[in-house]
Amino acid sequence: MIRDPDGAVAAAPESVPDEGSVERAFRERPSIGIRARLVLVFLSFVFFAAAVIIGSWILLARLEDRLRFLEAVDRYTMEIQQTRRFEKNFFLHNANLQDLRDHLAEARRLLVAAEPDANKVLTAVELHRMRTHLDGYESVIARLANGESGRSDPAGRAAIEAELRDHGSQMVAVALELAEKERASVNTALSLFKRLPVAFLAFLLAFSVIVANVLARQMVGPLGRLMETTQRIARGDFTPLTPSRWYRDEFSNLALALNTMMRELAHRQDVLVQSHKLSAIGTLTSGVAHELNNPMNNITLTAEMLKEDYATLSDEQRLEMVNDLVVQVGRAQKIVRNLLDFARESEITTERLDLAGVLRDATSLAANQIRLSGAKIVVDVAENLPAIHGDRQTLSQVFVNLLLNALDAVGKGGQVTIAAGAAREPASVQVVVSDDGCGIPAHVLPKIFDPFFSTKSRGKGTGLGLSVSLGIVRQHGGDIRVESTPGRGSTFTVVLPAAMVPSLNDAGNPPATPSPPSPPCPRA
Amino acid sequence: MNDRLQVLVLDDEPIVGKRLQPALAKVGCDVEVFDAPRPALERVAAKRFNVVVTDIRMDDVDGIEVLEKVLEQWPETKVIMITGYATVELAREAMAKGAFDFIAKPFKPQELRDVIAKAAEALGFAAISRAVEGVTS
Repeated sequence: MIRDPDGAVAAAPESVPDEGSVERAFRERPSIGIRARLVLVFLSFVFFAAAVIIGSWILLARLEDRLRFLEAVDRYTMEIQQTRRFEKNFFLHNANLQDLRDHLAEARRLLVAAEPDANKVLTAVELHRMRTHLDGYESVIARLANGESGRSDPAGRAAIEAELRDHGSQMVAVALELAEKERASVNTALSLFKRLPVAFLAFLLAFSVIVANVLARQMVGPLGRLMETTQRIARGDFTPLTPSRWYRDEFSNLALALNTMMRELAHRQDVLVQSHKLSAIGTLTSGVAHELNNPMNNITLTAEMLKEDYATLSDEQRLEMVNDLVVQVGRAQKIVRNLLDFARESEITTERLDLAGVLRDATSLAANQIRLSGAKIVVDVAENLPAIHGDRQTLSQVFVNLLLNALDAVGKGGQVTIAAGAAREPASVQVVVSDDGCGIPAHVLPKIFDPFFSTKSRGKGTGLGLSVSLGIVRQHGGDIRVESTPGRGSTFTVVLPAAMVPSLNDAGNPPATPSPPSPPCPRA
Repeated sequence: MNDRLQVLVLDDEPIVGKRLQPALAKVGCDVEVFDAPRPALERVAAKRFNVVVTDIRMDDVDGIEVLEKVLEQWPETKVIMITGYATVELAREAMAKGAFDFIAKPFKPQELRDVIAKAAEALGFAAISRAVEGVTS
């Protein structure tokens, strides 16, 4: 099989990836499906969302504690302030001490209740200071209640009042400070809480962009590659796809399916080539049968006359007749062998070919059709024509087909020119088969390479010739161009890549040959 | 009138003429052999032949043209066409155009002699028929 568009494959068969090993290479890779990747991405989104929700729930719960504590602190401050108001009343108006003690007790209760929370907000020193002042205040009040320092003793009273004021103001200061601190901390938490959704949104955005990019690259890359492959297939190149990534996914399965399809296509192509060859053989056989008649007739006449006049002929005459027999048998043999060589079903083998030889084969195969058509054939092969790489049989099939088509197009007295020379494309050779026949109408021209398209009457043409020829030439990395003017004739140009320096090829190193030229018609 | 049948054999395979010359001479024919149509036509213009044996498929001028030219000048002349496998259509066309008969390649000398004998009979050359029968026996 010619699988490589470079046409240099047969020289280095090991460079062709064989289907089994390609398939194994695909199967050996770890499977990471597109579905798994999508599930992973969505799971990670869900995970992040859950983390954010749990985080904010925790933060909210803590904020709630803080607010409750703040409330407690406010109430504590209020109780202390009440206490101090009663303290003032007590000193100024000698009001009763009971209300003061009630408020003080309430403050104490609040402090004890808030203590677990306070531990989290206040340092031990501050808490200790608070407690010390409250204790001090309480003990002074207790002393006052017990009437230790009588109301009559102004000096003692002043001392108590000063001590009480000192503790009281300290208590208020500490409580206010505590409230202030707590309020600030709650505000900080709140502003953090306000920023959190924005940060989460930004993170989500960045994460989505990255994930989308990565996923897109993972999808678009293989898609592009598969698209290139389909174009490659359209050009007739059936080289199997090889794994390009370290993992396996749905695209790998698609690539495997494409490989199978290409194998099938190559097989179909071979079958088409064979069936077209059979129909070409059919055409050639009638010509060959006619061509055989001449030597056969010569042999019959000579043998009959030899038998009839054996007695009367001289030795020289007999010898001359026997020699004629030998020569004519050789001629018949050659005619048959040409056709048999062409008909023989053989594996496609790529070898270094002299294009002139291939053209000689083709014209001699069609010799009798040429003779029957009454057309003139001009073969012009440029000197120093570079050799090509290819399969002798299938290429001669291409030229026989183009030649037979040209003969059909020209009538008696027409002319078919076969010119081989360097092509416009670099490192390529071309064979131009032109005729001065009826030409191809413009609306038919784009269809002539379609399989089973034929302008010949039913039963005369299979419609495979040009389609198969194009397939064969493309397998060789070449192309067929056509130009035609109705009434003036058609020109088919077969472009084939030239073989590179022989030493390189012989060493099994295929040289870099230019990629096949893009097909001229968009349909192809 | 000369009682030897005047025969022209035209075939672009030289061996055909080379072998037919003695084969036909034997049965009382004067045979002139050509392997190209143009000299043969020139000769026809100069001499009246009783029978012209011509191949249909030739490179330069085909047998149909030879037939037409001969009959144009010598309507009496019997023209026998030699056809190949792929030229049966042409042979039919030749018959329509007035050929006496056709014979398909490959043929034995005797087959041609039989056809020529028929032509000779039609032309009134009784000696040829007897000679042809003599060869077979």
